[in-house]
Amino acid sequence: MKLPRLRLPASPIENSLEGRAFVFSGFAVAVLAVVLYGEDYVVPAVGVGVAAVGHVVSYRERAGKRGLGRQILLASLVFASLGYFLADSVGAFFGGVLPQANFAILLVAVTSFDLKTRRNCYSSLWISLAILYLAAVYAWDYPFGVLLGLWTLCLAGFWAASHLRRMGAPVAVPVPAVATALVGALALGLIAFVVIPQPSIDPNGPVVVSLPNYVGFKGELENPALPLIQLSGDPSGATGTLDLHYRGRLGDAPVMYVRSGAPAYWRGLVFDTYHDGVWTASNRGFATLQPYVPSRLLPPAPPHNLGTFVQVFRVLRPLPGVISAAYPLQSLYAPVSSLRVDAYGTFRTPDLLRPGQTYSAVSYLPNLSPEELRQDPYVFNPPDANPAYLDYSSLSDRALALAEEVTLDYSSNQFDLVMALTSYLQQNFQYTQQLGHVPAGRDPVDWFLFDAKKGYCEQFATAEVLMLRGLGIPARLATGYATGDYNPVLNQSVVREHDAHAWVEVWFQNHGWVPFDPTPGVPGLAATTFPNHWAGGGIARLIPHLTIGAPMAVLGSLGALAVVPPAVVIALLVTLLWAWMRTWRRRAVAARRLPPGESELLRLYERVQRRLGRRRAPPETPLEYWLAHTARPEGERVPLEELTDAVNEGAYAGRWPDPARVRELAKRLS
Amino acid sequence: MASEQRELEPRRAAELLGRIEKNVHHVIVGKDRVVRLAAAGLVAGGHVLLQDLPGTGKTMLARALATSVGGAFRRIQCTPDLLPSDITGSSIFNQKDASFEFVAGPIFANIVLADEVNRATPRTQSALLEAMGEGQVTIEGITRTLEKPFFVIATQNPTEFHGTYPLPESQLDRFILAAEMGPPTDAEAIEILARREHGDPIGELGSVVSLADVLELQEGCLRVVSGPAIRTYIVSLLDAIRVRPEVSLPASMRSGVYLQRAAQAWALFEGRDFVLPDDIKLLAVPVLAHRLGMRGRAQASELVEQVVATVPLPPLRQH
Repeated sequence: MKLPRLRLPASPIENSLEGRAFVFSGFAVAVLAVVLYGEDYVVPAVGVGVAAVGHVVSYRERAGKRGLGRQILLASLVFASLGYFLADSVGAFFGGVLPQANFAILLVAVTSFDLKTRRNCYSSLWISLAILYLAAVYAWDYPFGVLLGLWTLCLAGFWAASHLRRMGAPVAVPVPAVATALVGALALGLIAFVVIPQPSIDPNGPVVVSLPNYVGFKGELENPALPLIQLSGDPSGATGTLDLHYRGRLGDAPVMYVRSGAPAYWRGLVFDTYHDGVWTASNRGFATLQPYVPSRLLPPAPPHNLGTFVQVFRVLRPLPGVISAAYPLQSLYAPVSSLRVDAYGTFRTPDLLRPGQTYSAVSYLPNLSPEELRQDPYVFNPPDANPAYLDYSSLSDRALALAEEVTLDYSSNQFDLVMALTSYLQQNFQYTQQLGHVPAGRDPVDWFLFDAKKGYCEQFATAEVLMLRGLGIPARLATGYATGDYNPVLNQSVVREHDAHAWVEVWFQNHGWVPFDPTPGVPGLAATTFPNHWAGGGIARLIPHLTIGAPMAVLGSLGALAVVPPAVVIALLVTLLWAWMRTWRRRAVAARRLPPGESELLRLYERVQRRLGRRRAPPETPLEYWLAHTARPEGERVPLEELTDAVNEGAYAGRWPDPARVRELAKRLS
Repeated sequence: MASEQRELEPRRAAELLGRIEKNVHHVIVGKDRVVRLAAAGLVAGGHVLLQDLPGTGKTMLARALATSVGGAFRRIQCTPDLLPSDITGSSIFNQKDASFEFVAGPIFANIVLADEVNRATPRTQSALLEAMGEGQVTIEGITRTLEKPFFVIATQNPTEFHGTYPLPESQLDRFILAAEMGPPTDAEAIEILARREHGDPIGELGSVVSLADVLELQEGCLRVVSGPAIRTYIVSLLDAIRVRPEVSLPASMRSGVYLQRAAQAWALFEGRDFVLPDDIKLLAVPVLAHRLGMRGRAQASELVEQVVATVPLPPLRQH
């Protein structure tokens, strides 16, 4: 038996030079996006250069036959690219920022030597689109839309150039059509801008940062928190300290991958004692636990919590043996010989965390809405009877006076007071990565508040902790990592060195330690309060978390420019609707031209065949089918003759019966 | 009104053809199919080849058909010494007028019976070609048109016989269809004997339709609808034959045209003004089999039957 060969229909050889230029430009646009947003340069540069040569080669040799040797070479290059991709994405051997995008770039570069037909060119364009998509993972800003528009232009240009060339017509820009489209889109956008209500967001409004937001979060936060923890003696980092006098540089290298049901800060060490610019933990006590920590061994669930969510951490760099996770924990599992929980609730592993190590945690989503927190009274006794939480001996007098002045009008409840101080720090101090050393003999907090007026997150956090303590509110310093860059392709966040962060935890009577983040550079966003509701329902796992609320916030931050994206979208929708209506109308007209009764009759014929239990065989004529039927015993026979005649007359003479006649036939047969 | 005329005409055609068939059956017992095939060849404006053993009634059928139609009937008894001019005619010197005078050969007739055509030499056979193909003959440089209708009905003995020259493929291709008489059944044989008891009934036969009727039938045949589905079906049949490995000489495009024309004629016999795939199926063997070149011992008719039984019809739905 001969098996049928599966083959794609032939595609014409692409002879249009302009078309090929558009294909290359589309690729260049995609690579530009990778360069801009991935901040990766080597592979994109190599890729563009190789692709340019490849396009020249394939244009010159478009009419020739594909040589076996070259096909083998190209195939092996594709596999080499795949090897690179695996090495970079699994092992991060090349420090890959966007290994998927780099793989796609190499793929385009290799295959550009083999762009013979129109279909080949389209394939190249689609891979460019895929590269754009991968770059979009890192791009949540408006200019990305421009890149996407450019790519679309390249696609349209290729389509037009290819077809014009095929028709033997010159390539020219249809000025009136383009002008009409532009003016129409702008007009529609203006109308939309007037009609659609704008989102009202107060960028500096006080926000409880139990969850970060993503709008301005493009990785420029370089918070030298964690590497400053001095590891001494205990390799687990249990005796870590944090020195504000000294800062190190933090790079872009990934530290860990987090797959999480909700975005959160991943908390590590907590410090309660501040002295002379150095944070330490006063309580060195710990308890040893099994690697699996069930909820009964952990503090009770916070009241009115919104549920739980799961996080899985995968370590990429050697890290101190501290379990970073969203707190409060519901349960924890880490594949180590045993776990220790310190006096502050942070879990430690006996050794350093090694690359490849994985642990998972289930955390509560506490309900930290302002309404909830406002109901908590002032607390004056430090939790765990630890006086360190209220110790502000390092705070200068003028700093304390400043704290009292700032919070003077907000002393009605603890939450408002904390928020007042947080907002004050956010609004009046500047976040910077370029901070010199603290002058010798100066207290870092005092220097920050009154001289430098700018600093890193731990300056902000330390200042707020001490000021709160000065006001009689128990507070402590929390360190760890921000959420990282969420990658919807991998469905996980990539936490990098520069995501290391420090923030404040404040003790509330009924809610325990509540995180606040005084560091500016993360404008408040109302939308960030609702993802936790989604996460509580488990729905967030199904959708890319970072898009929640982000588009509206982007629109809001754009101001008048926000006209353009909705205008483009509306123009696109209108065009699609119009095209759909036109197709629909044409179909309707065509349907009216259909011979009446054809569908009805053939449907009836099909129905009768089904009822008789034997379908007409493909080589069997309707007459033969009828004759075969008359061979049946009398009782089973059906008066098929008339129907057969009608079918024959319709199918072979083009004279279909009236629908009324078909109904009559159907009645007689039933 | 137009549609009424279209409905009326096939009925009249069927009536005329019924008369011819009935008349032929006065002398031919049974053999309904062969009789109808021969008549269909006439209506389709083609030429028919009858082949079988001697004494199976080939000549009788041809004569009966010719008689029924009326018009000029001539018979050419083919022998190895028959010359082309014996068919077409030649110029003879008239001593009285001292000039050459053209004496028409037997080809100048409405119905020509070429009996035992494969006993003539290839040279003589090819003289028939031009006449059959173009309806004209060229003698001594002068082209003479044959009167319409012009219908050649040739009989042939099986090629294994002594003293036969197999017909060239080009000439076989010019016959619209070929039919085999086949032996009579016992009942038919008894009936034949009964009819011949008191002489040959062919002498009593008269014409039942006029030449004008035949021309009208031929025109009517051209108006029979052969729909797109039928055309698709014919092409898929020819394609299916072409790909068979046993076939050395596949069916030509002319055979496809003939198949459609024969089916149009066949539809008239049933009073239809459109072709059914059943007509195609029925006519595939008579129209196609005789012109296929086969390898080895493969039988063309069996192959065509297999193809007809397996090739799927085009879908009934056309929109």
